[in-house]
Amino acid sequence: MSRWWRLAARNLLRHRRRTLLTGSIVVVGFVAVTMTAGFVSQTFSSLRVATIRATGGHLRLLDPRAAGKTDDEAAVLLLDDWQGIAAVVKKDPRVVQAMPKLSFFGLVAKGEKSAAYMGTGTIPALEKNASLASDTVVSGAFLSDPDADEVMLGSGLARAIGAKAGELITVMATTPDGALNAVDASVDAVLSYPIKEIDDRLLFLPYGAASKLLKSEGKANTLVVLLRDDADVDAAARDLSRSLAQAGRPVVVKTWLETAAFYKQVKLLYIAIFFFMGLVLSTVVILATANTMTMSVFERTREIGTLLAIGMERGQVRTLFLLEGFLLGVVGSGVGSLVSFLLRLALNASGIMLPPPPGGTRGNVLHVDFIPLAYGTGIAIMSLTLLVAAWWPARRAARLNPVEALGHV
Amino acid sequence: MHGASRAIDGPYTSPVPILEAHGLTKTYRLGSEKVVGVAGATLALEAGEFAAIAGPSGSGKTTLLNLLGLLDVPDSGTLLFEGRDVSGLPERERARLRREKLGFVFQAQQLVPVLSAEENVALALWIRGLPEDVCASRARAALAAVGLAGLEGRRPDALSGGQRQRVAVARALVGEPLLILADEPTASVDSETATRLLDLFEELHRAHGVAFLFSSHDPRVIERAGRRIRLSDGRIASDERVDAGARVPA
Repeated sequence: MSRWWRLAARNLLRHRRRTLLTGSIVVVGFVAVTMTAGFVSQTFSSLRVATIRATGGHLRLLDPRAAGKTDDEAAVLLLDDWQGIAAVVKKDPRVVQAMPKLSFFGLVAKGEKSAAYMGTGTIPALEKNASLASDTVVSGAFLSDPDADEVMLGSGLARAIGAKAGELITVMATTPDGALNAVDASVDAVLSYPIKEIDDRLLFLPYGAASKLLKSEGKANTLVVLLRDDADVDAAARDLSRSLAQAGRPVVVKTWLETAAFYKQVKLLYIAIFFFMGLVLSTVVILATANTMTMSVFERTREIGTLLAIGMERGQVRTLFLLEGFLLGVVGSGVGSLVSFLLRLALNASGIMLPPPPGGTRGNVLHVDFIPLAYGTGIAIMSLTLLVAAWWPARRAARLNPVEALGHV
Repeated sequence: MHGASRAIDGPYTSPVPILEAHGLTKTYRLGSEKVVGVAGATLALEAGEFAAIAGPSGSGKTTLLNLLGLLDVPDSGTLLFEGRDVSGLPERERARLRREKLGFVFQAQQLVPVLSAEENVALALWIRGLPEDVCASRARAALAAVGLAGLEGRRPDALSGGQRQRVAVARALVGEPLLILADEPTASVDSETATRLLDLFEELHRAHGVAFLFSSHDPRVIERAGRRIRLSDGRIASDERVDAGARVPA
């Protein structure tokens, strides 16, 4: 078979400039696909971090009655003994911290101005360590005292009631038994949350103050667990669920991905864009190569006629042209791999800053991931694409009538 | 060259003719017009013959050669190859016969420009699937037989017109065919080269016993032929065998 590969290679070199041009299209297509795959991979990674930080952890532990309920239905169910549960959870070496959260809503007022809020009671030190709220402080300082009557507001909410850091406001809420309660709290910080709808309603209160406001001491809507490694999520969820049940404290464990509808939608969108781009590039490569191969068949018509006349099988003629296409694909994507790899190194060393991912707060330095699977799949797909592109010209060559081909001018 | 079925020094003999044509007819469409290429051609070509189809341009020489060389299919008539009816053979079978039993030399040498002289000759064996070393050694022997020893590695663009035509002859010869069909073999070379080429054909004919069938309107080719088939308007006007004495000596 080597003789046919040799002939195919030499045929490709007949018109070096044309082969170089077609090969360049293959290289550019390959580089575009692998670089995009690397960039998308990094975007997914950033988005994953942002999504996990938005809730403050990888796992959410809920009251067992939340099983099978919607998020809204589960939101009113409280864990009775979050500290007991946290004690069990923290024994797992994969766990960094377990943070209780109380969710509530009501009205916040300053003077004559008031606005509705969505509040979270949290332990400041844990919240600061785990969530993206700490990145969004625009004035004042992040909460520090777990029991003080202090509050952090989204900038939209602060603007609505005309509150600034250091000023006193009144936070009103309804307790689980329906009574209205209120607390006067000083604004420690104003946050600028990246999603406006949340920023307009955002309020943080230390867990101690929130539990007093809601008359829910020792209770929490959820216990958010932060793990050391993202890769441990599923195993840790399974193990914690089992160990808590064995300890007589059954809970429902939800992973960050189960509740990350936004992450899933963005990921789906990026994948769709990636495949659409791949489709467009493949079409361009197919058209360019098919054009080159068709020209080659046209120019070599008499030669093909001679080959058929001396007894070459039509299948052999077809194979020869297919080999030329395949070889162009293999060499083009091989060169593309090298170019892509070097370009990736250059871009990663450039230190270009990117804007935050959707829903994120921090921009990242551009880093294009190296994805061996994308390179391997790219070489295979590009070679197959070139094989497809060569199919029709090869078929045309193989179907030539030798007498007519020999008389071709 | 290694003749498997015939003596190297003497002509190949066979109880049946290599080719027998009975009433071969081929017409073409040229726009809306129907053109007769060959009309009712009947002839037999014996093993070891040195024959030429002669006639003016448009008389049907190339069409008849294509039919006899299994490159084209007749509209009507019968063609027997070594006694077997091949008129209706599928293309795959005709290709196999061309590959194994026939050799071709075309007017313009039609070599593959990216292959060396040796590879161009070996190509006729590659397509048979023979091993690389066998192809190479037989190709070198064929090139030596046509006087091109030492030029094996040259590509066609580094050879003269006459040398290229010799490579084409070597390619036709390397498969040890029963018959070599040559369409206007002297048309694209100068007079001196044409003479040397005809000498080569005669030498190969004598040495290897392979039959030759030329189509040509070149008098030098016709004068050398031991059999002259003249065509006029697609019909065989005359078919004469010539004594050795009446042929122009090499």
